[in-house]
Amino acid sequence: MSALLQLFALDLAVAASACVVLALDAFARLPGRVVGWLTAALLGSVLVATFFVDGTGVAPHGVYEAGAWTLFFKRLFLAAGILAVLGSIDWLEERTPHRQAEYYALMLFSLTGMMLLPGARDWVLLLVSFELMGVPLYALAAWAKTDGPADEPKLGPEAGLKLFVTGVASSAFTLFGLALVIGETGSTALSALPASLSLLHSTGMLMVIAGLGFKLGAVPFHMWVPDTYQGAPTPFVAFLSVAPKAGGLAAYSVVMLSGWAQHHAVWMPALAVLAVASMVVGNVFALPQLDVRRLLGFSGVAQIGYVLLAVRANSAEGVAMALFFIATYVFTNLGAFLVVHAAARQSGGYELSKLAGLSRRSPWLGAALLVFLLSLAGIPFVVGFWAKLFVFLAAWRAGLSGLVVVGVVVAVLGLFYYLSVARSTFMAEGASSQPVKAGFPLTVSIVVCLVAVVGLGLWPRPLVDEATKAASAFMPKH
Amino acid sequence: MSPVTLALVATLAPAVAAVLLLVVSPLRHRGAPAAWLTLAATVTSLGAAIALLVARLGGAPDARATTSWIEQAGRPLAEVGVLIDGVSLVMLLIVCLVALCVQLFSVAYMHDEPPKAFGRYFALHALFLFSMNVVVVSPNLLQLFFGWELVGLSSYLLIGFYFARPSAAQAAVKAFWMTKLADMGFLFGLLVLFVSTGSFEWTSAPSAAVATWVTGLLFVAVVGKSAQFPLHVWLPDAMEGPTPVSALLHAATMVAAGVFLVVRADPLFALAPGTREVMLWVGSVTAVFAAGLALVQRDLKKVLAFSTCSQLGYMVAALGAGQAFAGFFHLGTHAFFKALLFLAAGSVIHAVHSNAIDDMGGLRKKLPLTTGAFVIGALSLAGVPGFAGFFSKDLVLSSLEGKASWVPWAMLLFAAFLTAFYMGRVVIKVFWGEPGARAEHAHEGNLAMTGPLVVLAVPSLASGVLGGWLATQTSAEYHLHLGLTPVLATVMSLAGLGAAVVVFGRGGKAPLTAVLERLDTFSLVDRAWAGGYRLGLLGVSALAGWVDRYLIDGLMNFAGWAALEGGTSARRLQTGLVRDYALMVVVGVLALVLIGVLR
Repeated sequence: MSALLQLFALDLAVAASACVVLALDAFARLPGRVVGWLTAALLGSVLVATFFVDGTGVAPHGVYEAGAWTLFFKRLFLAAGILAVLGSIDWLEERTPHRQAEYYALMLFSLTGMMLLPGARDWVLLLVSFELMGVPLYALAAWAKTDGPADEPKLGPEAGLKLFVTGVASSAFTLFGLALVIGETGSTALSALPASLSLLHSTGMLMVIAGLGFKLGAVPFHMWVPDTYQGAPTPFVAFLSVAPKAGGLAAYSVVMLSGWAQHHAVWMPALAVLAVASMVVGNVFALPQLDVRRLLGFSGVAQIGYVLLAVRANSAEGVAMALFFIATYVFTNLGAFLVVHAAARQSGGYELSKLAGLSRRSPWLGAALLVFLLSLAGIPFVVGFWAKLFVFLAAWRAGLSGLVVVGVVVAVLGLFYYLSVARSTFMAEGASSQPVKAGFPLTVSIVVCLVAVVGLGLWPRPLVDEATKAASAFMPKH
Repeated sequence: MSPVTLALVATLAPAVAAVLLLVVSPLRHRGAPAAWLTLAATVTSLGAAIALLVARLGGAPDARATTSWIEQAGRPLAEVGVLIDGVSLVMLLIVCLVALCVQLFSVAYMHDEPPKAFGRYFALHALFLFSMNVVVVSPNLLQLFFGWELVGLSSYLLIGFYFARPSAAQAAVKAFWMTKLADMGFLFGLLVLFVSTGSFEWTSAPSAAVATWVTGLLFVAVVGKSAQFPLHVWLPDAMEGPTPVSALLHAATMVAAGVFLVVRADPLFALAPGTREVMLWVGSVTAVFAAGLALVQRDLKKVLAFSTCSQLGYMVAALGAGQAFAGFFHLGTHAFFKALLFLAAGSVIHAVHSNAIDDMGGLRKKLPLTTGAFVIGALSLAGVPGFAGFFSKDLVLSSLEGKASWVPWAMLLFAAFLTAFYMGRVVIKVFWGEPGARAEHAHEGNLAMTGPLVVLAVPSLASGVLGGWLATQTSAEYHLHLGLTPVLATVMSLAGLGAAVVVFGRGGKAPLTAVLERLDTFSLVDRAWAGGYRLGLLGVSALAGWVDRYLIDGLMNFAGWAALEGGTSARRLQTGLVRDYALMVVVGVLALVLIGVLR
């Protein structure tokens, strides 16, 4: 029993943190921002604990496997959680002076689901953690349900509802697909498929792939992305745009590369289609966007396309590069959204034109945004360059030269819309000349992202080594 | 100290200054300390470079040290480090010396800026010098690309230094977009190189086809960085930056990085005759085209900018002819005399507070030292025998003899005539003739301004004699020979100067001025890019926007209308919109299943 406890110690700690936050707020009536700081501190101590608690092992019946692979993801989720919580504190205190604990607790529950996901080797555990990750997000997306001008429809509930309906539809597909797969094989173990597949098998598998693709926001399951990003509170979107995507990557890798490794003929074409569609649609549709959140939404869709390209490579190298990519994406996109959040709090809008003159009003925020955008565009000296280069190399080595060419060509489009954001911050005279004041926790969060993006850009080796270690623990046979 | 340590010092000293200035904001905000710190770093770099030179003259061999940047499966995937050989040492000396002169000049030139802007200016200079040195000492193409992008970033920030001026911000963005677009070629080239050779070294390629692909893609980046036709349009606009910045980045060093890259990757280019053929023509066309446009500019700095395009065309043509040494030699002399010309122009602009040639005139009495410096630079650029520019230009022209049935050779000879002609025009209009409206109160700057002019005048005069030494350092062959080409080149440059005296001495206009001016103001290449941008990119963008807004919104409106007609007072979010989205999920799943199953 104690071995099992140790195996799930980190995940339980996050779940317990959620309960602590809720209970303390209910009984002790903590002042507003204390809850936020407490959440960040609890997550921080779990992150520290990942370096001391040996969570390696296998649960009975092989339903859960923990090692370097799960550790990589757990640290990533915790880091994203801390940064997003810090980014939320000031905004939340202003928006919702009371019942803040609910916001943080929902985030912590979602994190618990994510933490369990990469280790799951059984359909039941995988699905439960996937839904545990997803359900709190629906509520969080609709958090600011009364915000916005009085005479216009509110965007908050719309954002939540869209996420919810598409999410539920996707879950239905996953479950239906699973019913086919499990019904045919009679086992809930991920790798229980027989060597030769029936038509029902492969149909079920593809439905599962489609259903899980929803959280990744891969085309054609991306429709919720821009609308939800536009309507949900931005500090939460910063979290939504990175952590569940990493969770989706974990689920995809576990299902396809581990569970269905010998049936790659079924899923590889599907994944290639998703990858190309996401790269192309994401980059092309980002071009005309005038709202920064929608633009970053489509950009995120495109970035996921690159990740899927690396997964499609179906090699330990590819997985390592996908991990590296998603980890850098977490810091870059979180940072970008938080800067946009800080700027919009002052200027009152998310249109590109509202960013005008940002670098004159607040040179630091302007420079930070430029760095994040350059990283998303894949320019050297920031980490996004390595991420793109690695993914392309891994894919090319796996013989996907055609897909790589498509990826590089649409990446050139990316240059234009990322730089057009940078241009509006740098060039035009803004409507306001007020400097943007980012509060202390928000500043900490942005600075951490900035240091990570530039630091890893100059010296990417530690993260590459970690990703490679995690990937080779995950795919030892290659 | 070992050569490797010295090279590291030369590279990292400006990085230390840049980071200090970035992090310790009081240093930057107070202005003067930033200048001192950056100057100290540059002096350190120059000192280290000189120490390297002394060691090399004492017989020290090439030095190379790398450490693994990223490892994969226990072996380095990419390396970072320093390589000191003849080429990088000479380049390092040039960069550090010119940078020091320019920074010293800037202390006086930027004196009237508010302390914060003054500090920011020097912080950016430190960043630039670090980035440029990363390019210079890099032992492989990947690290070179890193430095390449960093100099691009510092260039962007320095062009946009006066960002309150819309034209400056616009120019910065244009330069960034143009060069970034070209840099995609670099990225592609690196990918192809690594996939086919397993490394980022420039030493070899498995086949001629691979070499042609890699060099062709790299050359796209060179065209962008070194402002070659048809990507040259950003360089004249980049003159919106402060004049010393133009001297350092957009004349002497950064724009020459493209040429430096080709010199470095010469073993690859040697395997790709097709790429060289293209380079030969691109360089020759740029040399003539830009020289023609330089003839009709009314802005002193733009004359020099087009002249830089034209001279870079010379270098690229020489590289295309397979004579990397000729291109490199011209890079070196050009760095000195063009930096000198820009700084002298800066001194003039500082004195008359205007860039327009028409506001100047008759300045030789008010600014004797500046006049001397500018004339030395102009004669060197024009290729008058004895000046540095003569030797390197002669070598470039000689290397083209007989290539492509002598056509590029003839084009560059003609460009040599044009060069002398437009420089003659500028010298006469600015320093001789009637004093212009703003010339009255002009006076020389202080020692910080005149000192660098004197220092740069020396190599502009004399660095031509170093050709033989340079050749031994870079293990190339070099002989000064008296043949048809040097004689013709001399005739061309003297004829150009003579024609300038005849035409402009009496206040006349160059022949074809109207045509060239029309060409310049119409700016065909600019329009072609703008048109391509509008048609291509904005077209795609508009289409995507239409689908995103009209098609999807249309569905939504239709659904909303249907719902209202149905008698409910449903709000937007209760309409079919989310149903449409769910429908999309269904369609997507079905498509995926069909693709997978029917495959």
